[in-house]
Amino acid sequence: MATQLTPKDFATATPSWWCPGCGDFGVLAALKQACAELSLQPKDVAFISGIGCSGKISGYLHSYAFHGVHGRALPTATAVKLANKDLTVIVAGGDGDGYAIGAGHFLHAVRRNPNMTYIVMDNQTYGLTKGQSSPTSMLGYLSGTSPAGNPDAPLNGLAVALAAGGTFLARAFSSEPKAMVEMIKDAVRHPGFAIVEVMSPCVTFNKVNTYKWFKENVYHISDTEGYDASNRAKAFEVLMQPGKIPLGVFYREVRPTLDELMLKESPPIATLDIESVDPKLTNLQEAYA
Amino acid sequence: MILNDIEVLFGGQAGDGSLTTGDLIATVFKRMGLDVYTFKDFPSRIRGGHTNYIIRASEHPHYGVADYIDAMVAFDLECVEKHIEEMRPGGFVIFDNTSEQLTDAVRRSDVNYYEIPLAKIAKEVLGLELVRNTISLGVLGQLTGMDPAIVRSLVTRQYERKGDKVVAQNIGAVEAGENYVKEHFADKPSGYTLKARPDVDRLIMMGNDAIGYGALAAGCRFMAGYPITPATDILEWMAKHAPKYGGVVMQAEDELAAINMIIGAAWTGARAMTATSGPGQALMTEGIGLAGVTETPIVIVECARAGPSTGMPTKTEQSNLNHLIFSGHGEIPRVVLAPGSVEESFYLTVSAFNLAEKYQLPVFILSEQAMCQSKETTPRLDVSAVNVDRGKLHHNGALTFGEYKRFEFSEDGVSPRAIPGTEGGMHLVPGSEHNDAGVITEDARNRVRIMDKRMHKLVSMRPDLPKAVVHGDPKAAVAFIGYGSNRGPINEAQHRLAAAGVPSRFLQLRTLWPFPEEEVRDFLKGAQHIFVVENNMTGQIDRLIRYVTGPSPRMHRVLKYSGRPFRPIEIIEAVENTLNARTSKDGQTIVVGRNGAPSSPAPAEHAVAHLLKAPADDIVAAD
Repeated sequence: MATQLTPKDFATATPSWWCPGCGDFGVLAALKQACAELSLQPKDVAFISGIGCSGKISGYLHSYAFHGVHGRALPTATAVKLANKDLTVIVAGGDGDGYAIGAGHFLHAVRRNPNMTYIVMDNQTYGLTKGQSSPTSMLGYLSGTSPAGNPDAPLNGLAVALAAGGTFLARAFSSEPKAMVEMIKDAVRHPGFAIVEVMSPCVTFNKVNTYKWFKENVYHISDTEGYDASNRAKAFEVLMQPGKIPLGVFYREVRPTLDELMLKESPPIATLDIESVDPKLTNLQEAYA
Repeated sequence: MILNDIEVLFGGQAGDGSLTTGDLIATVFKRMGLDVYTFKDFPSRIRGGHTNYIIRASEHPHYGVADYIDAMVAFDLECVEKHIEEMRPGGFVIFDNTSEQLTDAVRRSDVNYYEIPLAKIAKEVLGLELVRNTISLGVLGQLTGMDPAIVRSLVTRQYERKGDKVVAQNIGAVEAGENYVKEHFADKPSGYTLKARPDVDRLIMMGNDAIGYGALAAGCRFMAGYPITPATDILEWMAKHAPKYGGVVMQAEDELAAINMIIGAAWTGARAMTATSGPGQALMTEGIGLAGVTETPIVIVECARAGPSTGMPTKTEQSNLNHLIFSGHGEIPRVVLAPGSVEESFYLTVSAFNLAEKYQLPVFILSEQAMCQSKETTPRLDVSAVNVDRGKLHHNGALTFGEYKRFEFSEDGVSPRAIPGTEGGMHLVPGSEHNDAGVITEDARNRVRIMDKRMHKLVSMRPDLPKAVVHGDPKAAVAFIGYGSNRGPINEAQHRLAAAGVPSRFLQLRTLWPFPEEEVRDFLKGAQHIFVVENNMTGQIDRLIRYVTGPSPRMHRVLKYSGRPFRPIEIIEAVENTLNARTSKDGQTIVVGRNGAPSSPAPAEHAVAHLLKAPADDIVAAD
């Protein structure tokens, strides 16, 4: 291995478009730190993001980055992994991107279990469109589209993922960098679809779920004695518990990944020599002769 | 006696196995050295509902159905009721009268009827009602002179996977059918006969299979799709074959996923495609815009069916052309190719992948139910002639970070791609507007420059686009323009008009976008009567042609939107009727297929020749 990389090796020259104080800065910093500590090479990282404030993150991580359309980052990323299984594939998006417009893809990514990492940057609002309610907004949340209070119950993405067959489920808080770095590292190392939901406060539009609010409303399951992350029923219980928001790695399981099942021992598809047309292809005509 | 020229309609209720027997009949014809075209007319359900399968055989390739049905094999009265009007005078019907009888209403004096209790024979003699289809094959074979040895060898091949017992049952069924005809109808010949010709080394292949095969040969190793009629065959074909060549096929959760998957795979460096039909195409629209702005090479196969909305999922139509060309917000460069036969489906698919990668944009292959699910006898496909041109692609070696620019401005509008994993090539590819380095920007000057760059590819690609084909006499006064599955019926109408002393020219468009203005303009020089033939209601290709020609009193639309393909006589009649009504200053719109069956009795009775000799006072402006 060459010289040890630092977070700076994953920085781009592009200035950020986020508001000062945005929780997303913490996510980006932790991600760079995790990539450096994992000794990933920027050329081997494929970073795919959705749309929203969170989606802008792909412009700020020095890597091969793809900033697609709203809600479709997961299918795009799944295909990137299948097309080149040697890449480290990381996906990032927000609560709207993943749990509203992209909710269908979220479920299917979970059940397919491709070997990649999904960071859900949850600010419980639509920030880029100036503060409407999102699928994780609290009941009664006041916004431009819910002036009488949000009538929709918030979606518990991790519990849904657990039910759909999730194999790595974690939650972090963006102002706890150390824990977040460790969680992202674990997620990238996890052989399967690893979800890290990060509570990432929107300082401009979400006046309810602020840094202060989170500090008072989270707890760490690492403080729960004897918590066993291989116990699915226990994980479900913790995730469904009303009240304070649990942080930590809730569940881990190793089962065959999509890329293992589909690709077996074959070389990465993107590296195949397709310019020399295989003469054996001619034989396929015999079935029609 | 009609020799080696027959169209068989094999019909009954969906789910009764007519597909297998129809395929068998087609292969028998092929082995007898005849040219074959098949057409599936299935309901959008699995069991029940009228279904039929047309198999046409002749001594020349037709790529389409005939004017009339010559032979009907009907397993129920509904089939006869639906199609008796479409029978050629002198044709014949084989009818299973086990549980229903023919009514007077369906008895035509000019059609022969062979009423045979097929199901009863199957059950009582062979103990297996399932084989009534195979008995009918024996009946049809005996009535038309199919080579018994060929029939037996193909029945054996068809059923050998199911074991000797099933083979023996089906051979017995063929014999039972043949014997029934010998015993009961020895003095009632059908009027049709087949004479085997040498079966040159050819294939009989379905359009969708040719597209899958072309894709695999062109190096496509990633496909994602969502099942939809009539495109699903391609997904299944690739799922079966691509993994053996290192490829992957994903059944996506919806078309939104499918299009974004192929974009992801293509960006990563794989040749990638999807196949869909109208409703799926609509869902893919946003993703196609993403491919356009990110300059990602993808191939989208559109197997068109009758819309709008769910429409008629198993019926043919050419009503999605506007959608392929104009759908989407914003403006992107794109290419639409339209093969006109199974053979062209293979070669144009190869072209589609090369164009996609060379010019880094979405390329559509537009097929239609009447071609993609139809089988044709076709020459062997030349895999060794496939040339894979990946365009400007750095997929090996190293780049210098900071120098490499993904969207670098260039003469032809195309910038070199670096795929993930390439040293020094790191970059962002955003669906947002960006500069040459991929950095998101809303700068006004950059916007104009990079839009110009992307759209300029439509100009620089011109020499590489598949050319239109001119069929017939390029100087003839009568001209046709069409594409896709209409190549066959227009071509056949041409031959018959020529035999009647009326030569014609036919421009078969193969690139529909960017629109081949020059080719259309050149083709129309000197044309006096122009017929634009298409399977839709609003004349979609006609409108595009009018952008080139301007208003033209001699340009007529021949439209059919009944969900069925043109029969050649309908085109011949349209020519005749239009020229009869030449008082109008505007081009005529002729809608055919309103009644299901052609309106006129027999093609020989048409006398179009004298009508076409009318002096041409207004010639279409060439410029």
